[in-house]
Amino acid sequence: MSIRSQLLKGILDGCILAVIAEESVYGYELSRKLQQVGLSDVSEGTIYPVLLRLQKNGMIEGEMRPSDSGPNRKYYDITAQGEEALEMIQEEWRILVNPVNELLQRGRINERETDD
Amino acid sequence: MNVKQMIEENNQKREQLTVDNEKYYSDLMLYIRTNWQVSEQHTEELLLELLNHLLEGQQEGKTAIDIFGEEPKEYADQLIEQLPEEEKRSWFTFFASLFLFQIVPYVLIIRGVVLLVLPLFTEVNDQVNIFKLLITAILLGVMAMGVVRYIMNVIHRSVFKKNHAEWKDSVKVGAVAAAGMGAFILISVWLPEIGPSFRFTWWLSLLLGGVIWGMSKVVKSN
Repeated sequence: MSIRSQLLKGILDGCILAVIAEESVYGYELSRKLQQVGLSDVSEGTIYPVLLRLQKNGMIEGEMRPSDSGPNRKYYDITAQGEEALEMIQEEWRILVNPVNELLQRGRINERETDD
Repeated sequence: MNVKQMIEENNQKREQLTVDNEKYYSDLMLYIRTNWQVSEQHTEELLLELLNHLLEGQQEGKTAIDIFGEEPKEYADQLIEQLPEEEKRSWFTFFASLFLFQIVPYVLIIRGVVLLVLPLFTEVNDQVNIFKLLITAILLGVMAMGVVRYIMNVIHRSVFKKNHAEWKDSVKVGAVAAAGMGAFILISVWLPEIGPSFRFTWWLSLLLGGVIWGMSKVVKSN
């Protein structure tokens, strides 16, 4: 597994919750939205085990509804519990992202200096 | 949508898949369906969802490998791990109805015919011992359940095996079913008659068998 997909694995639940919080989507739409924002490393199938887990934990709910193009699709909506979890993930991410950025960027700058 | 409708929709839509995608998907489907611990309702919802995804992807030129990865067994195991477990009650209902509708009417009808014909050649006893009847019924139910589960397990394990010899599985399943049947016959022959018996004539046996058989057809068509 590449480093990028390992890092992504930890945060994929949060990303999927964030998409579903914006609007209810079905599986194929969800994978397309993730790829549109640039998460092209998420192979499409990986979303399904995550969706099942989120349903089991009561974060999202699935419901069969007719889609825009006609046939029935299973649409996912976020629950109150899911919204709480998403807020927590967003908060944790905010706390992590700056120090990690700074640390990893600093490393790169030092490297460049010693190269010179 | 109920399970039956979903399976029907699945069967129809699978025909739209390309040969390679159909092979990949069908293996995945068989592997997940033969895991008897997971909820049937949720399993079929998921299978239909995956199939819809694959069909949409196929229109954009993607293959099943592009979408679900190169390790279908690992992928399926991840899915099974997250599927909710089947309630014990629905397993019980499944086997109870299997037993009542698929075994009992045939046993009764065969018994009725035998009791009708056999007196022409020899003396027969149409008494039924309640104790013996109960124990044999329970035994038959347990045995049928064991054999069905065993067959499902054999299929489950063989789906993603490479260079798999199918005749070996057939021999294994045949041996287990024969051994189960043999044990059942032996036990029911040796079982002593304890407590009260009642007379159960050939025509009552035929009638009851016919009624249950008719009921099973009605239930099935609903």
